[in-house]
Amino acid sequence: MAASAVPWSADSRAPKPLLLWAIALAGVAAAACSIALAYTSDHLAEPGLRAALIDWITLPYILAGLVAWSRRPASRFGPLMIAAGFAMFLSSLQWANTDLPYTIGLAFDLLPAALFLHVFLAFPTGRLERRVAAIAVAYFSAVGLQLVKMLLGGVGPDNLLAVVTEPTAANTVQDVQLIALSAIALAGIALLATRRRGSAMPRRRAVALMVDSSALGLVMIAALLLAAAFEVTMFETIRRITFAVIGLAPVAFLVGLLDARLARSAIGDLLVELRTDPPPADLRDAFSRALRDPSLTLAYWLPRFESWVDLDGRPVELPAADSGRTATIIDREGAHPAALLHDGSLDDEPELLDAVSAAAEIALENGRLQAELRARLEELRGSRERVIEAGQNERQRLERILHDGAQQRLIALSLELSLLEERLGADTDARTRLDHARHEIALSLEELRDVARGLHPAVVTGHGLAVALESLAAQAALPVRLTVGLEGRVDDRLEVAAYYVVCESLVNIAKHAHATSATIELERTNGQLVVEVVDDGVGGADTEHGSGLRGLADRVEALGGRLRIWTPRDGGTRVRAEIPCA
Amino acid sequence: MRVAIAEDSVLLREGLARLLGDAGFEVVARCGDADELLLKVNSYSLDAVIVDIRLPPTHKDEGLRAALEIRARHPSVGVLVLSQYIEIGLAMKLLADSADGVGYLLKDRIGDVQEFVGAVRRVADGGSALDPKIVSTLLSRQRPNDPLERLTPREREVLELMATGSSNQGIADRLVITLRAVEKYVSSIFGKLGLPSTGSESRRVLAVLMFLRS
Repeated sequence: MAASAVPWSADSRAPKPLLLWAIALAGVAAAACSIALAYTSDHLAEPGLRAALIDWITLPYILAGLVAWSRRPASRFGPLMIAAGFAMFLSSLQWANTDLPYTIGLAFDLLPAALFLHVFLAFPTGRLERRVAAIAVAYFSAVGLQLVKMLLGGVGPDNLLAVVTEPTAANTVQDVQLIALSAIALAGIALLATRRRGSAMPRRRAVALMVDSSALGLVMIAALLLAAAFEVTMFETIRRITFAVIGLAPVAFLVGLLDARLARSAIGDLLVELRTDPPPADLRDAFSRALRDPSLTLAYWLPRFESWVDLDGRPVELPAADSGRTATIIDREGAHPAALLHDGSLDDEPELLDAVSAAAEIALENGRLQAELRARLEELRGSRERVIEAGQNERQRLERILHDGAQQRLIALSLELSLLEERLGADTDARTRLDHARHEIALSLEELRDVARGLHPAVVTGHGLAVALESLAAQAALPVRLTVGLEGRVDDRLEVAAYYVVCESLVNIAKHAHATSATIELERTNGQLVVEVVDDGVGGADTEHGSGLRGLADRVEALGGRLRIWTPRDGGTRVRAEIPCA
Repeated sequence: MRVAIAEDSVLLREGLARLLGDAGFEVVARCGDADELLLKVNSYSLDAVIVDIRLPPTHKDEGLRAALEIRARHPSVGVLVLSQYIEIGLAMKLLADSADGVGYLLKDRIGDVQEFVGAVRRVADGGSALDPKIVSTLLSRQRPNDPLERLTPREREVLELMATGSSNQGIADRLVITLRAVEKYVSSIFGKLGLPSTGSESRRVLAVLMFLRS
């Protein structure tokens, strides 16, 4: 496969399947553990619902994380989601009745919140870029301040970490912690909103779904944290809603992947569409549909200018890594004639990209071949025209040489002999021999005339088709009705071609048609010179053998025209030439 | 009789001039192209011109155009066109309106001095001279229910000569028959072909040609 997506590559850091399975198993175990803890807890109301909410987050995050990790090992997004899933489990340890797990659970109580912030803000690349500080603060608030709070004995009597009991200080720490986290969450929402609004290009549906669910998750996290900080009475309800919403993000992610799987069925449609050789703009739309990416741009490489241009010829830059856009370069035998510039999220679907770029490659190759074929045909037509014209010119030159040379000389010689004869007097023997010589000259002239005439019908170039056809019709071996609907002259080449069509047709009629009459029609209509010869003979003419008709077709086609022959058995023969005539 | 010659081959032009001079014509102009001929026709009073159909510069239809122009502007000047090919279409064009003082001969005919000089003289006199080959081609033209089949061989011979522009006397001399016999044949032919009998010999050339052409 020649296609390659820039940031995506079969990475050596790809997780081993065994590791993935182990993590999956651990995830299931963790989920089961949460349920067990909930039901055995001596301090938990509604254990079923709480466990369900925890696992609603744990399991999808771990699953989505595994899928993401295996698809894009280079991205941190997958491991991050897996971590969020397990963090959720860790926080459920606080349901334990024994002190150690209880303490651990409490220590990680807010870690999931920080991780969710991290996940949502890092989507889709898995990197934070300028938001690193904010997430560092989030982790510090979630874990560091939590430990401080626990040291101050802020979370109850069974906390193993409690060194002192300073409820007021602990409360202050908790307020700082919650407000900091919710502030970061709110900032995150603002960021997502700006990114969504600011993005000039429509995003892929799968991506948009994920971004929206992330934003919703952030809203709920902020609401939950603020509710906790200000001890709102509906806190429990808010927590349930928040958990439910946070669990949506990985579901959205998985739905997005499923969407992409479905998208691959669009490749079939794409191939069908490409078969009709669509113009470039339609080609872009077809790719855009197949990839479900309305932002897709088709770029062509111009070797002469060493730059990429879009369909309108405007230069385009290939997107930088981590810009959220990716270029998939269509490569063909080392040349890279085109590129698909698309949403970065498509890198998660290398198979889809491969399939589309393979189709693109076929389409471009097809287009190139067709262009080449057209060019060659044009070249061939041109060379055929030149060959015929060169032959025509040569014949015309030879005819001139005969006409102005040998024929004139013979005529002058015959004249000379006649003048000589006048002075011979009564020498009958000499007269007879002179007569004989003149007769020989006359025969030679006759033969020369036939040769010259066969070389080039000078009457056509000299006096036009109408005059030439009149002579042809008069000399034909059968009654011919001639209709000339042509005023004045047209191009020499056209006249000669039309003349030969009539000439050859009449010869064929005389030889094979057994016709009783024929018609010749010449007209100029719709920018075409049309000449048609029809006979009432036996038809069934052989259009393949004998070079006559083939040669005529060559002549006519070399001028961009076409020669058609209808020759049904017992139905006469119709030969029609149409030659473009400006 | 005063004649002018337009022929681009020097050899032929001089040969023609000598031949016509020997035959008693006064050759007042020997031209190498059509423009020169037209100039001469305007300046001299001529009885006839002899024009090669292919003349410089393009050797296409300069000669024919000059011939048609002279016929239009100087009806009194007979025009004899010489060509190396026989084109019925050209003959028809040349004789489109009348056969008075016009001729169209194959160049080969120059070799037969008597015939040729006779033709020049006929054209100069306002008669016509059509190459026998044109006439025979027209006569042999295929036509449905050919009325020519009703003619006797002798009548056919007379028709042929008549169509070339021969006068009744010319026909009589050629076929070695009396003038009276020729006249009888002519009226019989016109009757059989359903043609109205016409006065002048050149008018009847045109009538016969039109008949043969259709």
